Formats: sequence, C-alpha cells, structure tokens
Amino acid sequence: MTSASWFLMLVVAVHAFVFHVLPRLSRPDILFAVTVSEAFVAGEGRRLVFRYRTIVWIGAAAALAISLLLSATRPDSVWQALPVAGNVVVASTAWYLAHRKARAHAVPPSDVRVASLVPRDSSLPGGALFAAGPFAILLAAALVVYTYRGDGPDGADASNPFGLLELAAVQVAIMLTIAVTMVGRSRQIAVDGPAAAAEQRFRRVNALVPVLVGYLGAIAMSAMTVASMPAFANTLGGVVWYLPQLAFMLFGLGVASWMFRVGQGGQRAVSPAARRDVHGDATPDHAWRVGGMYYVNANDPAMWVENRVGLGYTLNLGNWRAWLLIVGMILAFMVVSRLVF
Amino acid sequence: MAGAPRVSLNLESPTPAYRQIANDLRRHLVEERLKPGDLLPPIRQLALDLGVHFNTVALAYRLLADEGWLELKRRRGAAVIAREAPRAVDRRKLDHLLKQLGHVAAELRSAGMSSRQISAALHRLAQGAKP
Repeated sequence: MTSASWFLMLVVAVHAFVFHVLPRLSRPDILFAVTVSEAFVAGEGRRLVFRYRTIVWIGAAAALAISLLLSATRPDSVWQALPVAGNVVVASTAWYLAHRKARAHAVPPSDVRVASLVPRDSSLPGGALFAAGPFAILLAAALVVYTYRGDGPDGADASNPFGLLELAAVQVAIMLTIAVTMVGRSRQIAVDGPAAAAEQRFRRVNALVPVLVGYLGAIAMSAMTVASMPAFANTLGGVVWYLPQLAFMLFGLGVASWMFRVGQGGQRAVSPAARRDVHGDATPDHAWRVGGMYYVNANDPAMWVENRVGLGYTLNLGNWRAWLLIVGMILAFMVVSRLVF
Repeated sequence: MAGAPRVSLNLESPTPAYRQIANDLRRHLVEERLKPGDLLPPIRQLALDLGVHFNTVALAYRLLADEGWLELKRRRGAAVIAREAPRAVDRRKLDHLLKQLGHVAAELRSAGMSSRQISAALHRLAQGAKP
C-alpha cells in the first residue's frame, strides 16, 4: 500500500467520525437541523440517530474495503479518491433522509419573541488594538523587506517582494470583517441567566477565531517573506515553515475540542433547568435549505446565524450584507492575486 | 422572580410591532425597573434579537424619546433619563386613550368580566402589577 492509500483511508475514517458526531453537536432541541422537543430527542430521536449512524458506518466500511481493493489492484490510479467521495455522498444522503424524517416531528415556531433589555458586549474580542496586531506584524515585515531587499547576489526576487504580505493584509482584513460582523450582527437567543452567558461566551470565542487566524496568517506570511530574502536565507531555516503550521493545527484542535465540549451555542454545558426558556435557535425551519446546510431568510435581519449542521455560525444567504461579504472576499482575493502574482 | 427587564413581541397580535416594543418599555419605565441612567441596547442589537427591521425598534425608541423617557444616543442605543413631571396635559391624547380603554372594558364585559372585576384589575394595573 502506498502512503496515498493510507492517507485516503484515514480521510474516510475521519469523515465517518465527523458524520457520526454531527447530530450531537446541535442545540439540545435541534435534531438533524429540525427544531423538535427534547422529549423527541431522548425517545424516538435516538432510534433515528442510531439508524443514521448505522448507514454512515456501513458506508465507511464499504469505502474502506473498496480503498483496500483499489490499492492492491490500481495503486497509482486516481480512482482511489472514489471511495472518499462515495463515503461523503452516502453519509450526506443518510443525513438528508434523517432530516426529512425529523421534519414530521418539528415543533411549530413560537409567535412570541423575547429579548433582553440589557445591552451586551458587541465589541471585538480583545479590543481594537489587539485586532490591529496582524497589520503591525505585516508592517514590520514590510519594513524589513524594504530595508534588506538589495542584499543579495541579484538583489530582490524578480517578483513583487511584498506580494505575500499584501495577500496576508487582505486575508487579515477579511478575517476582521468576519469577526466584527459576527459579534455585531448575530442574534442572542437565550435572554438571560447562565444560558445567555454561555451563548455570549460561545459567540465571542467564535469571533476570536478569525482574529487569531489573522494573526497566524500574518506571522506565517511575514516569516516566509523574510526567510525567502537572500539576507536571511541561511539564518531562519525550516522552522519558519513548520512552526506557524504547528501553531495553526494546535490552535484549531484546541478550539474544536472546546466547541465540541460545550456544543452549539454553548448550550450543552448549561443545565436543562437553566435553559428552560430557550427553544430552538430562533430561526424558522423552513428557511433552512439542503438538509439544514444553508439558511436563506430575507425577513431576518441577522447576517450570521448559528449553524444547524455542525458548530459555529453561518451566513444568512437571504441577507444582502452576507452577499456583500462573500462577493467582497472573492473580489479582494482576485484583485490582490492579480496584482501580486 | 425579578430578572433583567425583557421586551416581548407577539407576531400574531394586531398591535404593530413598534407599539408592542414601546408598550413593554414604557411599562418597565413606569414601574421603575428601568431607571434614569440605565442604558438600553443599541437599536441594531434589539432588532436582531427580536428578528424585526431596525426601523421598528428605532420607531419605538423615538416614541419614548418624544414622551421624555429616553435620550437617543448615536450608535449606542438609548439612555433612560430623569423624566420631568408630565408637560401640560394633552387633552386630545387623553381622550384617545380613554376611548381605547372604553373599548377594552367593553371587550372584557363581553368576555364575561363584571364591572367590579374590571375596576379591580384596572386598579391593580395602575398600581404597577402585571396584568
């Protein structure tokens, strides 16, 4: 077996595990992206989850068997990627079927909406100065490049020496936009008490993620840019390539494990008594499309809403600001990429 | 249980959303659960939490600012201010409110409440008790 075969089999196993835990990540009264009663989740819902997981693991087992077969017969074929894709298709279909079954038990949305009259903190986690950090890092790297760019056999590289830094600056700006809109344009569902505190903490950690991704991007790009200069080529070594990647992985694992522990909206870490007044996620079931993957509701002023498949937040595709962000991100990367490379 | 003040909105109510929000806020203000110096959430935040257009909340805040309860703060919502004694009685407004009260009283009578029960309920409400 080649290392590629082992890797693809690992991907199949990871996919199966992710699909296995997916139903557990939602709020306690949301199952397969449908708002149901907690009694249903504890009763009939368990059987639904069991059937879904059985299909997921049978699909994964079949994919692994096909992977083994292909690695023995066609070790260098591109067909080896087929079991990975097939596994995702089977698991997604199982999710969709379970979603349709759960819809029959959906709880009708409440006609009454309640909100707290106590203002909550909607500032950027860490403050504006902390958020400006990645730009300061990039600026420092740009100064170094500017100072030493002539120190080499042929001077600087023929391409733009600031290219990676410019790209990183765009990435940081996008990450900050995501963070700002996430804290400022998402809905608080729990009104008060421990449930509201847990939800607010969850939101702020989610908004902190893009800020820190901006830091990691700025550090990595700055290090790569400086290391690629002739003046520093022999002093920094491979550490500049691996250290940011390692930090990125550790950070991702840390956040993912915390989010997995507290569940969507931080609500699984709250006692059932404390979230007595919290029902669903204040979004109508009918606005969730493709088995709960996408939220499209033009009548909802929220730009970000809690994901129903997985953890964290997703954009409300019925909100024009969400589209502005998406199109802005694409355009910014296209324009900068064209200018840089 | 006296938790943090809340505002609620019934989507099925014939009362316009901005009126419902203003009514809830006014009740908290009259019953002094919101006191001078207290800050209210920014318009955007309350609108997002209630799932209504920003203008709906802005209208409710504006209504209470006109009544002298709130001072509107740019981008920071509104602050409760010390309200001076009501200005000169607005006769037309009082007549309008009393007329509305008359309609409600008639509805309560037709729903089976006696006039004594209506008086007692009204007295309780005037004292600041919940309906």
